[in-house]
Order: sequence, then structure tokens, then C-alpha cells
Amino acid sequence: MIRVVAVLAAALALVPAAAACDAHPSQAKLEGDIMCPVCGTTLDQSESPAAEQIKRVIARDIAGGKSDCRIKDELVANYGESILAAPRSSGFGLLAWWVPLGGILLAAAVVGVGAWRWSRGREGEPAPALGVDPALERRVDDELRRYDA
Amino acid sequence: MARPLRLGAEVLAVGLVVALLALLVWRVAHGSHQGVAQALAKGNSPTAPSFDLPRLDGKGRIDLASVLGRKPVVVDFWASWCVPCIHESRRLQRAHERYGDRIAFIGVDAKDFAGDARAWVRKYGITYPSVRDGSGAVLDRWLSRTLLPSIFFIDRNGKVVGQLAAEEDLPRFLRQISQS
Repeated sequence: MIRVVAVLAAALALVPAAAACDAHPSQAKLEGDIMCPVCGTTLDQSESPAAEQIKRVIARDIAGGKSDCRIKDELVANYGESILAAPRSSGFGLLAWWVPLGGILLAAAVVGVGAWRWSRGREGEPAPALGVDPALERRVDDELRRYDA
Repeated sequence: MARPLRLGAEVLAVGLVVALLALLVWRVAHGSHQGVAQALAKGNSPTAPSFDLPRLDGKGRIDLASVLGRKPVVVDFWASWCVPCIHESRRLQRAHERYGDRIAFIGVDAKDFAGDARAWVRKYGITYPSVRDGSGAVLDRWLSRTLLPSIFFIDRNGKVVGQLAAEEDLPRFLRQISQS
């Protein structure tokens, strides 16, 4: 449990690091981060004319010295947020990262607290009565006596 | 577990299930919307979905609703990266030169860069106005998937009566909507 929480916390800590802009982005990295607007795959998976057009623009922008953040901002301004393969790790897009992680943490906490309370409750409970019918018990004793004799 | 805490957990669980069900219903309802092309394929004449988009040349906006009712309309979805669009837009340009006084021609540049689109319009001598649909939001309301070029014919009553599928469709639909 503690290990899971630690991993999730580390993942959350890495989110702001991922938001840092790269002043010298690579074409390959950006092609993996940007969607082809007509084929439902990232640019690096597509050779459609629409994808090729965006690849050319990215190459031109990299040559022009633009950072990856600026290139993505301009693509989002043109095509909308759906052009990004993953939601942004800043602003409103940050919710897409935090909400699922928060949900997992909340669910783990609920399950953990529930299990802890359940196990504590069982420790204080008296042992359940067997509830054997006295007549049956007498009959079994008689049978055993006859068997021993 | 204390009774109020258990009750709270149960309410939370039921609430989560209801929220997930509502999300599922919403997704199914919005994911299965019928585009104009599908309605036409079923033999219907749907009302043209409206749009109000900025002009590609930067000279204001075009609101489809303000054109409908005054003139029949031809709506041409295109992009500068679309090779077959060159041929169809040139045909529409010739039709525009011939019927432009009776029929409104509107290009919708979808999922494209404005600079490339403006250069494309200049290069191929397209003079009827085009609007910018960079995200393709309007295109997605007309077609369930991106298929360019897509050309629709709207009569004077705002009903979409046809989509260009073959060469001979153009004069036939132009006649049909000009007489509406």
C-alpha cells in the first residue's frame, strides 16, 4: 500500500517536470506527441497528406528555432486541443493527469480504511456459539458410549 | 464500521455508479450522431447544420443561416493538403462563374493551415468565399469521418438535397437547387 502511494506520488512529482519546454525539440519527439487530424494516429504513424503537411510545418518551426511548447501552442490554436496526443501537463489539461491519480488514491484509502476497520471489529467479537441441539448432543453421546462398550 | 460512515460510503458508491452510467449514456448519445452524409444516404433531406465561421481572407465572417432562405447554397469542404480537392474546386469555380448570381458557393477549409489555404486559393484561382474550420468541428457535424472533398447542395428551404458523388451530379444538383 505504502509502495503504491509512493509510486503515485512520484508520478505526480514528475508531471511538472514534463511540462518544461524544450528549446531544441526533435522532429521525432514532436511527431509522437501530435495527432494526425484525419487518421486518428500520431504523426509518426501516418503518411497521409494532412500528416505530411503538419510534419513539414514542424520541421520548418524547429529550423526556425521555436520551442516544443510554442510549436504545440500554435498547432492547438489552429486545430484545437484534440491535436495533442496527450493532454497538456499545465493549466486545465493538468486535471486529466490529477483526477485519475486522485481517484486511485481515494479508492485505495477507502479500501484500506474499510479493511482496517473490518479486521479490528472482528478481533473484539465473541466466538460464535455452535448452536447444537441438546437432544441431538445427548443422542450422539449415547451412540458413542454404545460404540465404546 | 460506524453506521454514518458506512452510509456515507454507500451513498458515495451509488453516486459513482450513477455518474458512470450517465457518462456512458451521454457518450453513446453524442457518439452516434448522424451526419448529413448518413442522412442523405438513407434517402432523407436533413436541414443544413448551421455554421458561423471567419472568412479565410480575413474579411469578416459567413453565417450560413444568413444566406439560407435567400439563395440555394453549395457547400464545399476542402483542404490545401487534399489533392482531389483541386479538381473539384476548379469545377465549382466554373459553376460559380456561371450560376453565382443565383446560387451561393461557400468553401469550408477544414483541418488545415490558414497560410497554406490562402496560398492554395490564390494558386488555383478560386474566387468564391471560403471560411476557416481549423479544428474540423463543423466538418465533423456534416460528416462522421473526414473525407475531402465533400460537396453538399442546399435548396432555398435550407434542406440538404444531395452530396456530390460522381462527375454528373454537379449539373444535376445545380439545376435542382436553382429551381427550388
